[in-house]
Amino acid sequence: MIKILVDRAKPTSEDIKKNQNFDLILNKVSASETKKIIPWYFGVVGLASFLLAILTILL
Amino acid sequence: MAVNLLYHQNAFRLEDELRQIEIAKKDPRQFAPLYKKYHEAIFRYIYKRVDEEEAAYDITSSVFVKALASLPRYEFRGVPFSSWLFRIAKSELYQSFRDKKAQRTVSLDSVTIVQFIDELNEDFSEEQRTLLLNSLKLLKEHQLQLIEMRFFEKRSFKEIGEIVGLTENNAKVKTFRALVKLKEIFNKTKA
Repeated sequence: MIKILVDRAKPTSEDIKKNQNFDLILNKVSASETKKIIPWYFGVVGLASFLLAILTILL
Repeated sequence: MAVNLLYHQNAFRLEDELRQIEIAKKDPRQFAPLYKKYHEAIFRYIYKRVDEEEAAYDITSSVFVKALASLPRYEFRGVPFSSWLFRIAKSELYQSFRDKKAQRTVSLDSVTIVQFIDELNEDFSEEQRTLLLNSLKLLKEHQLQLIEMRFFEKRSFKEIGEIVGLTENNAKVKTFRALVKLKEIFNKTKA
């Protein structure tokens, strides 16, 4: 259901500026980049370790 | 009609902005000036469409996270950077409605209501005002979106087209159709 608000209070430019947080944006982006890298990295490392273990058993 | 200065920039400013984008692609920290420049416009766009201020700040933040993460893929194809940001804002907004993190809201002021009733060729009265507000609720989302941007936010058809992914002409035609639909609902409710 759509809500209609008439003559709602508008935050001032100063209020909006106070809520700017560029560091938070940077941190969130780098955290999501790390999340993308970790499974790939551990996937490759994990697979290599697994193959090495198999190879050690076989030899 | 008021001119949106952030949208209608001169060639020099647009070129300067593109240079800033290229720098930010190599070093995300250099995105800060663009963030500061557009934060308020994006926040106000979102704030008008959600019922809670806190939710508007959260969605604004996720818009810039998405924009910064997608910046390496941004290419200038005639659409200003601001329109690219508004497209992300639109998509984040609808995601928050689907996730029930915010409620779809239309924010209007009394002056806009009077002007819009005049646009519908009607005389203003309290009854007409109530009728209009009820009619807006019965529009389909894509129609409401066009009415909102054109008549309540005074955006140009070119900018509307760039935000919703239509040509300028198509945006004009669809906005006109949305207005006809609204008049139809308005008159039906009146009868």
